[in-house]
Amino acid sequence: MNEKNSNSKTMNINFLNLNSMKTNKFIIKAVLCFALISSFTSCSDDDPDAVNEEEIITNLTLTFTNTADANDIVVMSSVAPDGLEDGVTAETVVGDFSTGATYALRLALSNASETPAEDVLNGDIIPEADEHFFAYAVNGINLTLTRDAGDVDGPDGSKLGVETTWVAGAASTGNVQIRLIHEPSSVDDSNEFGTTTGGSEDFNITFEDVEIDD
Amino acid sequence: MTRFIIGVVMALSCYSYSQNCKFTFLGELNDFHDGSPISSATIYIKEKDKYIVSDLDGKFKIENLCSGTLTLTISHVGCETKTVSYSIAGDTFKRISIEHHVEELNEVSVSASSTKKETTTAQETVIKANTLKKYSALNLGDALKEVAGVSSINTGNTIVKPMINGMHSSRILIMNNGVRQQDQEWGIEHAPNIDINSANQISVIKGSGALAYGGDAVGGVVVINSGRVILKDTLYGRTIIGGQTNGKGYNISSTLNKNYRSGWFAQIQGSYKRNGDFKAPDYNLTNTGLDSKGLSVQFGKKKFESGFEIFYSYLNNEIGILGASHIGSVFDIERAINAGQPLLIEDFSYDINAPKQKITHHLAKANYFKRFQGFGKVSLQYDYQNNQRLEFDVRIGDRRDIPAIDLTLQTHSILADVNLDSNLDRKINFGIMGRYQNNFADPDTGVRRLIPDYDKYDFGIYTTTEWRLNDNLLVDAGLRYDFNRIDAKKFYRISRWEERGYDEDFSDIIIEELATQLLTNPVFNFHNISASVGTRLNLDEKNQLLFNYSLASRPPNPSELFSDGLHHSAARFELGDLRFDKELANRVSLSYSHNTSRLRFLSEVFYNRITDFIYLRPFDFILTGRGPFPIWEYQQTDAELFGIDLTVTYDITDALQWQNKTSLTKGYDLEADLPLIDIPPFSTMNQLRYLNTKWYNFSASLKSEWVFEQNEFPDFNFEVEDQLTGDMILLDISTPPPAYHLLHFYSEATFALSEKTSLNVGLGINNLFDTSYRNYLNRLRFFADDIGRNITLQIQLNY
Repeated sequence: MNEKNSNSKTMNINFLNLNSMKTNKFIIKAVLCFALISSFTSCSDDDPDAVNEEEIITNLTLTFTNTADANDIVVMSSVAPDGLEDGVTAETVVGDFSTGATYALRLALSNASETPAEDVLNGDIIPEADEHFFAYAVNGINLTLTRDAGDVDGPDGSKLGVETTWVAGAASTGNVQIRLIHEPSSVDDSNEFGTTTGGSEDFNITFEDVEIDD
Repeated sequence: MTRFIIGVVMALSCYSYSQNCKFTFLGELNDFHDGSPISSATIYIKEKDKYIVSDLDGKFKIENLCSGTLTLTISHVGCETKTVSYSIAGDTFKRISIEHHVEELNEVSVSASSTKKETTTAQETVIKANTLKKYSALNLGDALKEVAGVSSINTGNTIVKPMINGMHSSRILIMNNGVRQQDQEWGIEHAPNIDINSANQISVIKGSGALAYGGDAVGGVVVINSGRVILKDTLYGRTIIGGQTNGKGYNISSTLNKNYRSGWFAQIQGSYKRNGDFKAPDYNLTNTGLDSKGLSVQFGKKKFESGFEIFYSYLNNEIGILGASHIGSVFDIERAINAGQPLLIEDFSYDINAPKQKITHHLAKANYFKRFQGFGKVSLQYDYQNNQRLEFDVRIGDRRDIPAIDLTLQTHSILADVNLDSNLDRKINFGIMGRYQNNFADPDTGVRRLIPDYDKYDFGIYTTTEWRLNDNLLVDAGLRYDFNRIDAKKFYRISRWEERGYDEDFSDIIIEELATQLLTNPVFNFHNISASVGTRLNLDEKNQLLFNYSLASRPPNPSELFSDGLHHSAARFELGDLRFDKELANRVSLSYSHNTSRLRFLSEVFYNRITDFIYLRPFDFILTGRGPFPIWEYQQTDAELFGIDLTVTYDITDALQWQNKTSLTKGYDLEADLPLIDIPPFSTMNQLRYLNTKWYNFSASLKSEWVFEQNEFPDFNFEVEDQLTGDMILLDISTPPPAYHLLHFYSEATFALSEKTSLNVGLGINNLFDTSYRNYLNRLRFFADDIGRNITLQIQLNY
């Protein structure tokens, strides 16, 4: 590499010495020489660096804790080693809800591809809460939620949805969905689950066969 | 002829002025190329203020000369006027070579408006400066639509990619002032980075007939030329200032030329364009602003025998992409389609936010040519291009200002070309080309690379020949060989590597194993043969036939080989294939033209059969954290395209002209027995134009643009399950929008301000009735209507 560089530099000097030549010939050769120099200097045998994917979320965990019994916990988690955005995910649900019980939901979003794992929720989303919104939905299961008074403020006077309280109704089995919407055009949390228009979904995860037992 | 007679008269009268001087000058005029004698040339003798004429052998005699200087100015029909001086000290004989067929070689042109075609038997249309000026505020892709059969594939209103007979991107080769444009043209959202204001003339060549430029132009070639050099002492320029109501846009462009009789020339040109959010008839198209700056400088010396040129151009475009098109999942697309209007509409603004593109393109070239007597012209060229493409996505936190895509593409080319034109009935052209290209994808984006780092080497050698068999029959042929080598360093996720089956076929290219990724070193060599043969037959004075057959060979582009990931704005995965081989196109075309004083009719038909045609098709689904995504895979298949383009101009009266341009293109995947995607629908354009040359060159035209619904399209609609409810949701991403009809008005007049200064004022109204429509070939058609009425006013000052 270095050798090539010095060769082409020598060539360059040679041409400069030939200043008695006709201008035209000099120009052609200077141009060709410049071409050679530029090609050599732009060659690189270095291997590219792997991209450090900063924006991804690899782990989403919803931990529901019975406000009356700290041992009654339901954990829903979604893991995507390549990131939730475009990687394949695996969902697991551990534990069942108990009829009539009230649960506090704690959310955790992290990027475990970094060491130590990056807290995406507190590091990225909460600081920009006015551009984000968590929307929830259930189907077939008797769960209701309220956004806590202490919840982080979201866009348009809404509550972001990171601090929520859930109540389990009659025994049932169904699906629970959580979505994170980035830059929604409008949000509405009057029905607590939350609806939006516009924006883009950062993730859209459904946990299936969640149970409420008597 | 008049000159000849005057010359003869003058020559005869010469004798009456005999003086005491006694020397004789004998001159012989011959052709620079083949040495043949030039008869009937007019020779002006400055010292005697006399004219004489050369005889049949090209000889002339001046008698009774005094000692001292003799200055002769030699002119001949179709020749460059040449002035020579001799010092006379006795009887003298001189052989003087003059350039005889300037018009045919078009090397030194006296008229800036003369048309120079790039090819002889291909389907070529030239767009001249006078037409181009109307597009000063627009894009190259918009201007090219002046040609029947040329459409565009758009991302919104400012990313406009030319499409020739249904082909675009890597299948179209763009020559920008003699340099093959290298600006990541494989991407459907990557418009050519060329300032339309730097062009003086554009040739559109359908098919790959122009082999000197490349052998891979499956769709066609676009040749952009800047202004010609005028061999006289002159300073001239033009300034264009325009304003547009839609988008509250404004543009300014200025060109200044300085030419010297000695052949030295210089040109500087700059332009600036700005617009805010465009407006569809019913709503604002939020975040569709544009900020574009262009500069070009050119200087050199151009004589008939030799010349050189140094050229540099710079273009910087910042382009906003419709905010509502930023989507995260197929559910977002489904909501956007069902909403029927953008889900993000804000008040007008000039702000350009993410998603946006920021592209900088530098182009520098130096060339030199020399003509050798009795041989031909030798040209040498070196050029360098630097293209930086930044694409900003909607991101959060500190990363808001970091682009999601950051590609730097550098290209060096050297070219040597020899044009043997000593025999104008048997022209031969051959050349050799070498190119080195480096692509660098900056890892600091924090987003996995869209395409990898690579080095690319190209080597090409070509020859073309043109034989004029008689006055009415001309035959041309060409042959080209290209070698391409691409040497990439690409990271693959292990999951993808295995899913693609590369672990079995390409295990030898792995150079490093990381936790979840593999670093690989794919190296591919492609050998391409391309050819062209054609004929031009003049049936009679009014009727002409052109026939051309061309073979094009296109190696797969980086995205076809290496694509591997989510294409955000399309909400789909796109996967390339390392196993691809080159694409081969056999295209035949036939043109018939009929020209009378009132009627000009041109019919162009073509059939293009492409083996191993590479295109994207849906293939499978992947279930991600954002729900299911369709996976589109590049596939190789056999395809055919055919069509007809008609251009008819009829002068109803001297002042009233009717023009029709109609185009029909069909394309099919022969293996899957499906129509090809993104084929332009049938369209017909009618224009009525009134022209009054006596009254300030006033013209007014009404243009009707009627685009039909594309009824042949592949059904790539799909259903996804809403996991929450278990319902199936249909995504109709295939059905083309309905037909539409638009009316456009344009009027202009030119006022002479002084002998050398004129002012041209143009007023246009596009989409006169503010019609709402969506265009099948606009990739943002799922999200919003196209733009509504736009009133444009443009003032051009020529000086």
